[in-house]
Amino acid sequence: MKNYDAVVIGAGNGGLAATIRLLQGGARVLLVEKHNLPGGFATSFKRGRFEFEASLHELNDFGTKENAGDVRDLFDQLGVTDKIEWLQIPDAYRVISREEKIDALMPFGIEAFIAQMEKYVPGSRLSMEKFFSLAETIRSAQAYTSSVNGKADPKIMLSRYGNFVRCGSYSVNEVLKSLKMPKRARDILNAYWCYLGAHCDDLSFTHYASMVIRYITRGAAMPKSRSHEISLAFVERIRELGGDILFNTEAVKILTDAEDGGVGGVILDDGTEIKTRHVIANCAPHLVYGKMMDRVPPEVVKATNARKFAGRGYSLFLGLDKSPDELGIENHNYFLYDTMDSVKQYDLMKSIRTNDVQATVCLNRAYPECSPEGTTMMYFTTLYMEDDWANVKPEDYFKTKEFTAERMIRRFEEDLNTNLRDHIEEISIATPMTYARYCGHPQGTIYGYESQYWDGLTPRLQMMDEDHRIRGLRFAGGYSMRLSGYSSAYFSGDISGRQTVGDIKREG
Amino acid sequence: MEFQFKRQIFGFMDLLRFKNMVKVRRKHLAAGSDRALPASYKVNETAKILHPGYMNASLVRVEQNSADTKTYILETEQPFYFRAGQYATLGCRIGDSEVARPYAISSAPREALNKTVAFTVKKCGFFSGYLFDNAKAGDRFVVGDPSGTFHYEGIKDSRRVTALAGGSGITPFYSMAQAVADGTEDFELTILYGAKTEADLVFKAELDTLKSPKIKVVYVLSDETKEGYEHGFLSADLIRKYISGDFTVMMCGPEAMYAFLDKELLAFNLPPRRIKKEANCIGNRDVKDAVFNLTVHIGDKEFTIPASANETVLTSMERAGLNVPSKCRAGGCGFCHSKLINGQFTIGGSDKRRLADSKFGYIHPCCTYPDSDMSIIVPKA
Repeated sequence: MKNYDAVVIGAGNGGLAATIRLLQGGARVLLVEKHNLPGGFATSFKRGRFEFEASLHELNDFGTKENAGDVRDLFDQLGVTDKIEWLQIPDAYRVISREEKIDALMPFGIEAFIAQMEKYVPGSRLSMEKFFSLAETIRSAQAYTSSVNGKADPKIMLSRYGNFVRCGSYSVNEVLKSLKMPKRARDILNAYWCYLGAHCDDLSFTHYASMVIRYITRGAAMPKSRSHEISLAFVERIRELGGDILFNTEAVKILTDAEDGGVGGVILDDGTEIKTRHVIANCAPHLVYGKMMDRVPPEVVKATNARKFAGRGYSLFLGLDKSPDELGIENHNYFLYDTMDSVKQYDLMKSIRTNDVQATVCLNRAYPECSPEGTTMMYFTTLYMEDDWANVKPEDYFKTKEFTAERMIRRFEEDLNTNLRDHIEEISIATPMTYARYCGHPQGTIYGYESQYWDGLTPRLQMMDEDHRIRGLRFAGGYSMRLSGYSSAYFSGDISGRQTVGDIKREG
Repeated sequence: MEFQFKRQIFGFMDLLRFKNMVKVRRKHLAAGSDRALPASYKVNETAKILHPGYMNASLVRVEQNSADTKTYILETEQPFYFRAGQYATLGCRIGDSEVARPYAISSAPREALNKTVAFTVKKCGFFSGYLFDNAKAGDRFVVGDPSGTFHYEGIKDSRRVTALAGGSGITPFYSMAQAVADGTEDFELTILYGAKTEADLVFKAELDTLKSPKIKVVYVLSDETKEGYEHGFLSADLIRKYISGDFTVMMCGPEAMYAFLDKELLAFNLPPRRIKKEANCIGNRDVKDAVFNLTVHIGDKEFTIPASANETVLTSMERAGLNVPSKCRAGGCGFCHSKLINGQFTIGGSDKRRLADSKFGYIHPCCTYPDSDMSIIVPKA
């Protein structure tokens, strides 16, 4: 029987980062991936003369060599940064909302961002300065917490990062109202909310502010050859470090040790049994406890049932036979909303018939050569906040796909006064069914467990030790302690990888 | 001095709330239901019908369509669904090897929901010859995931589709015609169907019964002049005769037909988005024969096998009885994505790999010919 110090299940962003961390810690590691490619959603696909990015809109917290973000620092430590060619995204975002008649283009850089906001919303400056001051404290507090592996000293927290503690239990809307930020400025500032997938009455302020400040101070990055380049760079690094990888191989069971109920091994889809005492699962705890383990402690079942799936994904990819200039597409990324009342908007996103939200990217505006001259590559993404796609029968599937794509194209054409429809050379549509198929996520969820009020970033980080309830079993990816998104997934792999190295060392 | 954030009347209440976050989350987690976690989910179940992966299937019956073409009707182990025009692999065990080839599905999508699927295959190679001579009711096969983008796409295609079919290239259009007739698809389909002689036409009777205001079929015979048939090759003149205005061209047939029609279509000045071609399998190449050593790593196993310079790396692996992934056999789907350790190679057809694949040395064995000894890492099938 084959024997490994650790098995990583799933080569998504979290699993890839965890594997490198384990190898760097001296462990013998097997990474198994059921798909034939690494990366999970971090991949690309070709249609005709276009190579589409499958999911990455912009990589947050990466920065440049001179102004490195935490993700770049992590990639440096993992030894992958220089295997990838990087691009910088030009502007933060353009947000358009119909109800409030907002059309705002926001730049990177705190000063520029505040100045632009003051231009759109005179009188917003003071509250915006306070926002960034809070955000900066939150970032520092998080850096401190990470440096002590989550075991923060309450006294230090209060003395050095008092504002983090004071605002840490509130939602985005609660804090921004306390800062007396004018409503229109709040509306513009909240544009990123759909990247985290919980509405602003629910979403923890610290989580949101920590994301915004990383975008605004470090800009956003993109690998030239789409996120597939990142994923292959990770695989390259894993092979350099002597790790074993099996593609087209599904881990079907996690065996438990009769003595302590902890991890004892893994069974692969061809019946191979691997002996190991450590698993990092880069997938939903719902799947691990629902079908991969026979003995699950009752408190684990309860804790897992208590959690709520976040957004189910939908993406439309268009290759257009005119240039962005000819089409009049000026910006890299757009957020289109019906309303900036995110509670109302969240409700509209529950149903196929009422969801018109989109986060849209024109990659040519960051990388003009991403598609052949005279063409444009765009991708449009939305989330469904309930399982309306579960009501779609197979025989209605293709029509429903088309219905939603039509709707997305029409919305973009109306809001940006452009014509896309007559220039579509390639089209591809990914629905919750597509995401369910590729990564096996329950109901096609792409955002892990929702960042609900009680289940946000801060309490998850504070409870990392407590959430680790089965010996030898840790999680990485969007369902784990750092929540969803590219950066978060890499960090979760980093954390779980290092923790597992510690677990192995303690066992001797 | 830095401003101090305060929301409650008394600042300590903000601190207390923070302190309570862990307790609150603990309470929520403990209050979860104790019922067993679900083993499956509705969206995932539907996905399993739309993308079934490999399905076991048994051959129900064989119908002969012409002297060299038969239709194989199979029952799959589960219901599935596809888009008319898509292909799937059909495979079985021959001797010690698993052999599979991609074929356009010739039956209607609706029938797949009742676990019925048909492939219409012309006898022209190893596997098609095996099918033609040996396949009989009751035989076991494996049907792959329905794949490919050779189907009507309502958002981008003209509602008027001109189908140019050469010989056995009729099969995806026969599926489309059935789908239009039963209401699954909604577009106007004009099929120009080229064959050598009347006797070579497959599905003529079936297509004739499907004719309607939405479905037109024109038969074009190259080697025979007959009343009621067009004579010659599919051409610009013929297209002009039967279609006008804006239309989308979909072509399925041999490479020689594509080369000829590419020139004919210039007359219409169509943008690339109006022309769709079904890719053909990459065949052998014509070079001076040489035999190289191909080292293949699958999991922790290593095989060294002979590889002919004339054949694709995939074919050499199949010849050696290795069970490796294959799907489109045209270099495009990426299903056989493999890592090159060392060796020289040439790609058949255009390079359809992703940018990062070229950068990090990945190949698609189905369209790769060896130019030296090679060593590769291939995932298991």
